[in-house]
Amino acid sequence: MTNMTVDLVVNGTPVSETTEPRTHLADFLREELHLTGTHLGCEQGVCGACTVFVDGRPTRSCITLAATCEGAEVRSVEGFDDDALMAALRDAFKRHHGLQCGYCTPGMLVTGYDIVRRLPNADATRVRKELSGNLCRCTGYAGIVAAIMDVLENNPPLATVQPQTRTVQKSEKSAVESIGATASILSPVAAEKITPASIPTKSSLAEAPTLSRTRRFDLAATDIWNVVSDPEKIASCMPGGQLDSITDDNLLQGKCAVSMGPIKAAFAGTAKMDLNEAEKSGHVIGRGKDGLSRSQLDGMLDFKVISLPEGGAELTLDMVYKLTGPLSQFSRPTLVAEIADRILDQVAASIDALARGQEPDLTTQSNLNGLSLMASVFMGWIKRVLRFR
Amino acid sequence: MKPALFDFAVAQSLSDAQSALLGGQNKLVSGNQSLGPMLNLRLTRPAGLIDISRLPELRNIEEFEDRVRFGAAITHAEIEDGEFPDPTGHWMRDAAANIAYRAVRNRGTIGGSLAHADPAADWVIVMTGLCATAIILGPEDNTPPRSLPMEDFFTGPYSTDLGPDDILAAVDVPIPGQGARWAYWKYTRQVGEFAKASATILIDPAHNRTRIAIGALGRQPALLSNPEAVLDGKQSPIEALSEAIPDQPANALNLHAVALSRALEQIKESKEFSA
Repeated sequence: MTNMTVDLVVNGTPVSETTEPRTHLADFLREELHLTGTHLGCEQGVCGACTVFVDGRPTRSCITLAATCEGAEVRSVEGFDDDALMAALRDAFKRHHGLQCGYCTPGMLVTGYDIVRRLPNADATRVRKELSGNLCRCTGYAGIVAAIMDVLENNPPLATVQPQTRTVQKSEKSAVESIGATASILSPVAAEKITPASIPTKSSLAEAPTLSRTRRFDLAATDIWNVVSDPEKIASCMPGGQLDSITDDNLLQGKCAVSMGPIKAAFAGTAKMDLNEAEKSGHVIGRGKDGLSRSQLDGMLDFKVISLPEGGAELTLDMVYKLTGPLSQFSRPTLVAEIADRILDQVAASIDALARGQEPDLTTQSNLNGLSLMASVFMGWIKRVLRFR
Repeated sequence: MKPALFDFAVAQSLSDAQSALLGGQNKLVSGNQSLGPMLNLRLTRPAGLIDISRLPELRNIEEFEDRVRFGAAITHAEIEDGEFPDPTGHWMRDAAANIAYRAVRNRGTIGGSLAHADPAADWVIVMTGLCATAIILGPEDNTPPRSLPMEDFFTGPYSTDLGPDDILAAVDVPIPGQGARWAYWKYTRQVGEFAKASATILIDPAHNRTRIAIGALGRQPALLSNPEAVLDGKQSPIEALSEAIPDQPANALNLHAVALSRALEQIKESKEFSA
């Protein structure tokens, strides 16, 4: 990963700094330029504390890469000493109790500045709507809204910071030249693996969300059981699964690499399982960790193959899952269910093919887009379970 | 919190960006407003990012007799502010004005949002509801870009028909016929949040287009097969949705039925389109 030099203007001063491509603008301001007035709250574009002006437009500096600010003019809260409008806002914030701890204030001031100059006729309702992207945990917003309304209604000074024309970005080197040579160095997905050594307890999953699914097969229950209980066969149905070891405590350790659109993760997991050959059922409890995002999934799965009276068989799955870490901040329950369905359809199709003595269609598998991290880990567990009857 | 290491390059041209994708190993980025959070949380770890946000080819607008072509790197704020003509009168502007927050709209782009294909994103349902078409540039030289209706472009959550070397270059938005009407309603628990349920209605008699789209399903939007029955009151929203999205749990079904009911109320009061 080549470091790059970024030339930009910060608070009126030209700056040239070498930085990593992954450095976002907020870190660039804080760590390279020591402009710590820009605050970082959520670092995922929700809280608004890091809002600064880039080319005169309010911008989330935590989800704006410094590298994309080449040639830009950045103005952070430190850059308004001589700005009459910002002085009026500061004064109003002070008078109306528009801040207490002050953590959100740099972002609030930038957003407030933008409201005053862009929406001169805004009423309090509109101000609240415009402020919705800046979170404050002290004031209850009343003082902030009052402060901005006060400035709006009392002949606000002219805004000196104004949106600039968007320019075409010039680059001396073609993208293929600068990125082509180094890109194949590493696969970031495979960069790090941490296999959790422990598994969760049943009681720790008591309040966790559940997901139940059923898949039908036009085959006898024995055929399906023979596939899902044959380690080699079922392994070929799973996305990127692999068993690494069995510990002395008879815990299975393995991993799976899964993807969902741009989301790529390498989960490593430990699971304990019990199988009931007579009832064609099984129980799995385990824990998976995505080493790079530090997300953790605890889960439990009960599954059963049932022979249907009208012919064919049914595979029922009852899952309980608890997700912690970045992935849980990101995921929404509707997504989890949708993705679980997609992966189940895929696995079911492969099981079906194998039970008929055909090869599972791996080309469709690798191209399949909607693979769930959680569902995959569950399915990975099933696989590992069934490997070691 | 830092993203995993990646390389970065600014594309000089569309073909440069295409070559630099290296078969999907690297990823295109424009506003970074949806990808950024994923990068910071390390949920996505592309080997490299190719910035296409300021490519002139993607910042264009082209007006045809029956449609307007929006370059993929046009920002939500530019549409909100009317910096580019809105072929639908003000429907696109209204939708743009309610995407996330102004700071996000200042950088986020229409093409980026569509290519990212978050099931709850505004443009995903609005462009589907407006019968828009994706304009996709394939890797072969001298081949005209292919057009794909939005309902075929999205294939699942965060998933599109784009191949590893494809670029979503633009989106074609049809100009509504005289007298056309439109409604878009979304449910969010907080202003600017991702929608939990959403619905659009398009009634365009001049073009014989009637469309009801249901969004924020966790996958691509669903189109009602018989929108007329709902519009004529022969089928209630909940009946129609029980048919169209039977797999959704009861609470989600109800939420979407409310979204559709609100859109139905909205369309009764909506002004007719005139060019």
